[in-house]
Formats: sequence, structure tokens, C-alpha cells
Amino acid sequence: MISHKYGRSTGKRVADGIIGVILNLIMLIFSLSCIFPLFWMGYSSLKIKREFNADIISLPTHPTLDNYRRILTNPDYHIGASILNSVRTTAISVFFIVLFGFVIGYFLARYKFKGHRALWIMLLMGMLIPVHSLLVPIYIVFKQTNLSNQWFTLIMPYVAFGLPIAVFLVQGFVKTVPTALEEAASIDGCSFTRSLFNVIMPICRPVMVTVAILQTFSCWNEFSFALVLIRDTTLQTVPLAMTQFTGQFSSDYPKIMAAMLITMAPIVILYFVFSKQIIKGMVAGAVKG
Amino acid sequence: MLSRKPKAITFLVYLTIPILLYVFVVFFPLLTSLFYSLFEWKGGPNKTFIGGANYTQLIHDSVFWSAFRNNLYLVFLCLIGQVGIAFIFVMIINTRYIKLKGMHRTFGFFPSTIAAVSIGFIWTMIYDSRRGLLNWFLEKVGRADLQQVWLNNSKLVMTLVSIPLIWQYIGYYMIIMLSATAAIDTEILESADLDGANAFQTAVHVVLPMIKSTIMVCIVLCVSGNMKAFDNIYVMTKGGPGNASMVMAMYGYKISFEQQNMGYGSAISVGIFVLGIAVIGAMQLLQRAISKEEVI
Repeated sequence: MISHKYGRSTGKRVADGIIGVILNLIMLIFSLSCIFPLFWMGYSSLKIKREFNADIISLPTHPTLDNYRRILTNPDYHIGASILNSVRTTAISVFFIVLFGFVIGYFLARYKFKGHRALWIMLLMGMLIPVHSLLVPIYIVFKQTNLSNQWFTLIMPYVAFGLPIAVFLVQGFVKTVPTALEEAASIDGCSFTRSLFNVIMPICRPVMVTVAILQTFSCWNEFSFALVLIRDTTLQTVPLAMTQFTGQFSSDYPKIMAAMLITMAPIVILYFVFSKQIIKGMVAGAVKG
Repeated sequence: MLSRKPKAITFLVYLTIPILLYVFVVFFPLLTSLFYSLFEWKGGPNKTFIGGANYTQLIHDSVFWSAFRNNLYLVFLCLIGQVGIAFIFVMIINTRYIKLKGMHRTFGFFPSTIAAVSIGFIWTMIYDSRRGLLNWFLEKVGRADLQQVWLNNSKLVMTLVSIPLIWQYIGYYMIIMLSATAAIDTEILESADLDGANAFQTAVHVVLPMIKSTIMVCIVLCVSGNMKAFDNIYVMTKGGPGNASMVMAMYGYKISFEQQNMGYGSAISVGIFVLGIAVIGAMQLLQRAISKEEVI
């Protein structure tokens, strides 16, 4: 009896162990597949084309930074310019999304005014509109008003598209802040503008950080509107410039990989340094939005 | 609501610029596309009014409708792939066996922060027939007979362009659902375990109902997100071979910018708008039906 019981529990323990190993293995394969491309591109970009074509998976036998040197020194590839364009467009867009989102979200949360409902519905509709139905008409409108193909062109659609989610997040947050603060500020003779920016804004910091994180990634990665609104190669953002590289050296994979790694670097570094906050912010944005 | 309200002028000062910008970028173009969709217009100075002819053409345009079907197919695959696999992973991670949970979170979420354009390039390199990882792998496992020029296979191509999207977002939905399951009381799970429920029963009968609203959020996000698929398809196939991987946005782009047919392109834009709203509307109804059930 006892031995029987003992035997069963060992059997169970073994089965348990096997399940554990299998489950861990599944998750490990998934996790590693998510960063594998980064590694693969990393060491492959150190090979020359011939070595890569001979064996696509082996580690480089004579690692060289040639690909990087050639990409960065050739002005035709304008890789530095594209990163600069992306940084500028993203930074300015995110600044205005956060600012406008904060102001509109605050007004919607705190006051009933003429057009309150209309504004609310307009923003809601903005979230539901399939964004690609705007691709052609925005191109037409921007072209006719001479707004396309300028350094500031992309900022306008990015701010407009980012606004609804920003407003909803801020509005939801401000509703949880007691009004006593502003009442006290106004009794103390604080002007509206001062109470808005010196009293409320600091409290809304967490939600504004969430909005900024969310929008940094979506602006940096946006492709389709950049594709139709930007003609000049000198004004291209990173995703657009990348489609150019691959056209230019379509058979030279190590070079493409080097170019991709350079352009991905800012966002990859940002992610791995602040991954906790970024994941938290993106989840908050997705669930509450 | 605050007791004291600032003057009307304050509202104007703060709200005018953002609202004007928003209307100019979102609503004004919608109206212009309605207007131009009534013209024969190749982008040049000449436009001819043709009434509803573009819409008649659109209704009979088999490419447009197959593109719409491709959109739906892609959404369907992504629902199963992204939300479905993510749910399974969440159940796995929540078992007591799993080590390195933090790593799975950080690495799993990573692809969703990368541009769809880059993801498209990475997978083009994986599918490449001569130097691709997939064919390399098939050769190593001795199944070289299965090797092919993957993205030229018009039967498989829609599935092949969906896989990068699925892979990219599993981690994203996994993390959203993990944050929901974290709120579940562990006592409930333990008592289910004591009552002899196996892992599958616990998942379906205990966890699933408790995170139903979060799963619904994931489904809505997944549908609206994947109706927008464009970037990775532009990079990987441009809608080809033929029109096998054409989605609506890609078709609108091709007609408007490669054929310079702005009039018909505008009509397609209106079509994308209507169908997109219809799909999202259907989702809302479904969501409401499910949440009503919950009340009863």
C-alpha cells in the first residue's frame, strides 16, 4: 500500500516535471523568437555580402564594420537626415498631442459649454474612422493648400490622429481629481491659466506620460501618411527611408540589416531602458482608450 | 463640474487651434473625398463630373471586394493568432511552473514597439527563397522538397503576410490579459485546483469569464488594428502576386498614386470608410450583446 502510494507520487512528480519543462520551453521559444531577429541582424550585419550568401545563419568569421561605414558615409542614403526628420517630427507632434490633449481633456472633464457634446462626438468619431480612408483625401487637400512635402507636414495629421485617445485618457484622469483644488486656487486669486498649468498639470503628469509614450511609438513608426505626403528624399522619416534602402540594395542583405539596425537603434534603446514604464503606459492606453 | 466657469473668450483661446486643426485634417478631407468621388479625375487640371459612375464601378469591382475579403481573412487569422495564442500563453505563464516571467514580458512585448515596415522587412528576409531562414530551416530538417518562393504563392500569400502581424502582437495582447488576470484572487484559482479542475477547465470556466471584458477590449483592438493593415503588405508584396494579397488600403493607394486615378481613388476611400465603420459597428453590437448577457 505504502509503496504503491509512493510510486504514484513519484510518477506524478515526474509527469509534473515534464509538464513544467514543456511549458517553460514553449514560452522560451516564443520569447527568444521575439528578439532573435535583432540578434540575427546584429551579427549578420558584420558580414560582407558574399559571406552572408554562403551561410545565412553562421556567426561572422571576419567581423567588419564595412556595411556601417559605407551606409553612414554615403550621402545618397541620407540615413542621418531621416533619423533627424523622425526625431523632429515625433518630438513636436508628441509635444502638441500632450498639450492639446491635456487642455481639451481638462475642459471636457470640468465644464459644460456650448458644443461640449459636439466636440465629444467629433473626437469619438475620429477614433472610429478607418484611418486609410483619409489617405487619398488628405493627400489632395494638402497638395492643394501647398502643405504637403514640407518639414512640418506630417506633424498635422499625427497631432490630429493622436488627439482623441489623448483627450479621453486625460478626461478620465481629471474626473478622478477633486475639484476642491481649483476652487481653492481660484479663491486665492489664482488666474485660470495659472491654475490650469501650475495646479492641474503637475497632478496630471502620470496620464501625460502615458500619452507621450503611446504617441512616441505611433509617430515614430507611422508609415502610410509619410508615404503619400512626403516627396523629397531629404524630408523622409525613418520608415519611408527604409523602403528606399531595400530598393537600392535589394540583394545585399547585410547592408539592409545594418541600415535597419541604425534606424531602429533609438527606439530599441528607448524600449530596453524604459521597458517597465513603456509596457505600463501602452497597456493603460489600450485598456482605457 | 466646477462652480465657477471661465469666460467664453477663455474657451475660444484654448480650444480654437486644436479643434480647427482636427477638423481640417480629419473631417474636411472626408468631405472632399465625397466631392471628388463624383468626378473622373486623373490628378491633373481637368475634372469631368460623372455623377455616381465611380460608385457603380466600385460595386462591380471584383478586386475591391476580394481586397475586402482579404481584410476580413486577415482580421480572422489575427483574432485567432493574436488574441487566441496570447490567451493560451497567459494561462501558461500563470501556472506555477514558469520561470523568467519578467523576461517573457519584456521580450514578448518588444516586437509590438517596432515599425510594421521593419517587421515586414525582417519577414521578407525570412521568406526569401534563396537566402531566407524558412527555406534554410526546411533544408536542415531534410524537407527541402517543401522549399518554394513563398511570397509568390498566391494561395498562401495572405496567410504569410498575416503571420508577421500575429507574431508582432501576441506579446502585446498577452501583457494586456496578464494585467487582467493579475487582479484575479489567487484563492479562487486554488479552490478550483482543490476541486479537481484541470488546467483547461480552470482556463475556460474560471479565468475566461473573469477577464471577459478585457478579452472584449482585445478583440475590438485587434479587429480595428488589423483592418488597418497596410505597411507590412506594402513592404512585403505590394498586394501581389497579381491581387492575391491586396487589402483595401493597398488597393486605394495603387489606384490613386500608381495609376493617378484620384477620382476613383476617392470613391474607394469612401468605400473603405463605409465598410470600416460597418465592421466596427458590428463589433460594437457584438460587444453590447455580450455585456447584456453578463447583466442577466
